[in-house]
Amino acid sequence: MQALHCLLAGFGLFVPIAASNASPTAFQEASKLESQEAEPTRTLQVEPSELTLEVGESAKISAQALGADGSPEDAELMFFSRSRRELTVGREDGVVTGLKPGTYEVIIRERRNEAGENQEGRAGVNARLSGTVQVTVKALPLERIEMIVPAAGLWAGTSAMFEAMGVDAEGGIREELRPSWTSSDPAVASFDSYGELTLHAPGTFTATVEAEGKTARRELTVEANPIERIEIVSDLAAPRTGDVIHLEISAYDAAGALVPAVPVDVSFRARTDDTLGAGASGQIEPIPGAPRGWRFVAEQPGRYTFVATSGDTVGRTTVAATARDVQGKFTFVGHAPVRDTHTSDLWVWEGTDGRDYAVTGTWGANGDAHFWDVTDPANMVRIATVNIDARTVNDVKVSADGKTCVLSREGASNRKNGIVIVDVTDPRNPEVRSGFDDELTGGVHNVFIDDGKVYALSAGARYDAIDISDPVAPTRVGSYKVDAPSPSIHDVWVEDGLAYSSNWSDGVHIVDVGNGMAGGSPSNPVKVSSYAYPSGWNHAAFPFRQESGRFYVAAGDEAFPLGLNLTGKPTYPRGWIHFIDFTDLENPRENARYQVPEAGTHNIWVDGDVMYVAYYNAGLRAVDVSGELMGNLYDQGREIAWYLPDDPEGYISNAPMAWGPQPHKGHVFFSDWNSGLWAMKLER
Amino acid sequence: MLALWIGIAAALAAPQEAAVESAVHERLLVAAESSDQVFELSFDGEDLVIEHVLEVGYQATEIEGPHGLTVAPDGRHWYLSMAHGKPNGLLYKYETGTNRLVGEAELGLFPATMQISPDTGFLYCVNFDLHGDMTPSSVSVVDVEGMVEIDQIVTGSMPHGSRLSPDGSRHFSCAMMSDELIEVDAVTMEVARRLLLTDGTELPTGGAGHAMETGEGGEEVAPARAAVSKPTWVQPHPTRRVAYVALNGAHQVVEVDLDTWTIARRFPTGRAPYNLDVTADGERLVITYKGAQSVGVIDLASGEEVARIPTSRRIPHGVVLTPDSSFAFITCEDKGATPGSVDAIDLRSLKRVSSVDVGLQAGGIALFPRSARPYFER
Repeated sequence: MQALHCLLAGFGLFVPIAASNASPTAFQEASKLESQEAEPTRTLQVEPSELTLEVGESAKISAQALGADGSPEDAELMFFSRSRRELTVGREDGVVTGLKPGTYEVIIRERRNEAGENQEGRAGVNARLSGTVQVTVKALPLERIEMIVPAAGLWAGTSAMFEAMGVDAEGGIREELRPSWTSSDPAVASFDSYGELTLHAPGTFTATVEAEGKTARRELTVEANPIERIEIVSDLAAPRTGDVIHLEISAYDAAGALVPAVPVDVSFRARTDDTLGAGASGQIEPIPGAPRGWRFVAEQPGRYTFVATSGDTVGRTTVAATARDVQGKFTFVGHAPVRDTHTSDLWVWEGTDGRDYAVTGTWGANGDAHFWDVTDPANMVRIATVNIDARTVNDVKVSADGKTCVLSREGASNRKNGIVIVDVTDPRNPEVRSGFDDELTGGVHNVFIDDGKVYALSAGARYDAIDISDPVAPTRVGSYKVDAPSPSIHDVWVEDGLAYSSNWSDGVHIVDVGNGMAGGSPSNPVKVSSYAYPSGWNHAAFPFRQESGRFYVAAGDEAFPLGLNLTGKPTYPRGWIHFIDFTDLENPRENARYQVPEAGTHNIWVDGDVMYVAYYNAGLRAVDVSGELMGNLYDQGREIAWYLPDDPEGYISNAPMAWGPQPHKGHVFFSDWNSGLWAMKLER
Repeated sequence: MLALWIGIAAALAAPQEAAVESAVHERLLVAAESSDQVFELSFDGEDLVIEHVLEVGYQATEIEGPHGLTVAPDGRHWYLSMAHGKPNGLLYKYETGTNRLVGEAELGLFPATMQISPDTGFLYCVNFDLHGDMTPSSVSVVDVEGMVEIDQIVTGSMPHGSRLSPDGSRHFSCAMMSDELIEVDAVTMEVARRLLLTDGTELPTGGAGHAMETGEGGEEVAPARAAVSKPTWVQPHPTRRVAYVALNGAHQVVEVDLDTWTIARRFPTGRAPYNLDVTADGERLVITYKGAQSVGVIDLASGEEVARIPTSRRIPHGVVLTPDSSFAFITCEDKGATPGSVDAIDLRSLKRVSSVDVGLQAGGIALFPRSARPYFER
């Protein structure tokens, strides 16, 4: 049969395809049962065997079933493609139209619609006559190629990165281009295969880039490097580990004049105090927008020598970094156990009577929210439980006046979910005032209360602002949805009239919901800025401003690549905290992280210069986030304290799973998924 | 148990004997929507037994909502729809017997009930989309060989009850919030007919008064109406050209004549009929009464309810019937931390003969066909 295929294909004739030649996928996995099937003898003729189209061009694929004896059969066939956004296929007539350049398949499959057959008795897909036609939709021809030459000029003893851009006949930019680079005089300058040009000596040469028969050339000159002296000035003479050092590079010519244009590279050499097989010692990078500015952070105590080079000229300077010495400890104060179910989020507040209270949710259970008197954190007492129609009360929040609590609802029996508003003026006798589920039917995972509005996630795709000034009759006043295909949201936090939402792969969005900087309001939310990172794990966000004016958002991941164990044994999540510098709202930059190895983050709270992280299996963590941040804070001695909430009688025994932290009146409260509510004291 | 299945497999070689055995040896799947679990159960004619529990989903601390279940006609694989994703739901493909996950595809918002057409081999899954505004949603069509969604057919608001004609050439679903029964050509993947179930009026297949921005194909569809009857399920008759539709909000089931595309009969039911199935012999209709904690059995010849059988727990949801018309299996959701359950009802004695608790909010249910039985040996 294979020989016949080749023969006929070579002559451009019909190509018979036996049923057993259907696309080799899961249906053809090894199986004793499948091997028992009879060898198919019917075949499918398809013409053409391959198809090439221009964008927008159409062509017809013809197919005919043949019986075992080669005679045509009256079998009904259908045509389809798995690339519906790239091809259109007439399902009955086989007319194919190319929409987007690329190579795709059109599948021809036999229908099974004989009357009288029941479903169970019919063959599966793999036993049907089936065939494929490869369809190539050609990219528009390249009309020209453009060479992008670095603006800094070309100086002997340095290097420069070149780029190429292809433009097609309709003016579109070619997404995939494989240019080749050549220099007419490699003794003056030579390219590597990626377009990086090494400048060996002064002189002229012709740079050429070529792709798909199109060529661009530039006559270029390599100038003599005038730099004769380089100085490096550090802004910190005695940094600690984790402090960001700024280096200002000055390059001079023989006459002592500054040379601003010629590139200078900077690296460092470390002599750490710990020489016993220590790991990485520091990190250095250029400062964006500062041509002669570099910054460096030391992870270990020791001496660091910075080396700046341009051509044959070298400059050096050395600083000594000392240990950061911020270590403290968490002292256990109290534990209010919840051992019969998983615990979710918490909120701690001062009640209208001046005492302190906490509310915790439950997860995968009966829809309970527990209320606690935590005035004495060493003796926290459960004072009430509110039960709602839900399986998970994932989030709990209390208004600033301490009177209104909002519970999120998931797994309601009627699937309407939404939120429940509870009067907690007397936390010992909480009263459900109302529920609100209009357009919140997908299950509300997180909420926030700010200035009489509840910000509640809707269908995992947006958040709604709901006015609860009348807690018996909540009303929606606005909503915000990320402008992206299939946006997905996980959390929202509001501070100073700005809403910070966490949107998985769409990252952190900052939206004016009353701040005024962009004219926004709860009924008219206006996006201010956003930042997304590649993993798509963005789960939580907490903003904090430093006295210097630097404005960060700590963006937390959530990921369970190893799964979640509901009972019996611990879970090992993954992820870290991303520090995004939003000082320039139009140009946010991710500069630092806090990553505990072999563990995963959940919720965050920043209080002054201390960040508290409920780091799931790594417990509660306190981290020094003072000053400029760069690199991995975990490696820099910035971690102040940690505590693992072991509970032998926990829902899962001795399995720390810290969910959410909240500092309150000198204590740090946190909820743990397996063991309930905890109170700690950070000693420094 | 293994020996039992080997025995059944051997019996398949002798069709007459197998027919006797198969009536009381069943395997089924049940989805627990609020605990993200799928239960594989067996039934020997007397007792339901949990054989395996499978944790499903990928967003570990969120309820993803396994909802719909179906088994391929050849029994080799089974499929599970997950209601909530980021934000779109997923379709998972598992290997029968090993319960090994072998594929997934992204569908629309809240993919729910589904079935595979023996005609096209495609899976048709309604995107229930109970979120937000009641705008028209769709039916996803999936090539289960490649696990790729090859089309989304815009139908109506909150489509539910995805079922195919016995020959697999026509797909039916209800639009719960626009009170419509919608028929789709399974091959061309275009809406063929619409029927307004509140008064039995046939609707145009395209726009009903004004054009709307809809699917990728630019189709026009009927706008959402204020739902009155809230149809939740449609079940074509196995041999006759009629289909039965549960009107959850009207406490009725209607019989739709598929030739004339009109409502032929209306049956009063218990409160909030939800899911339906018709016995393979075509004589009886079995209905879950979501609001009455019971199951109704209607004699289709007379139109009379011949039995109303209490379920073991509240909020009965799904129903499947054995091919020999002997047993019905019912899922019950219940509320909060109370587990859902599965009931086995003997349709001859019209009594519940076994119940077993499963996970939270048990809903979707599927019965493995006889063709699947050999796969439990691997």
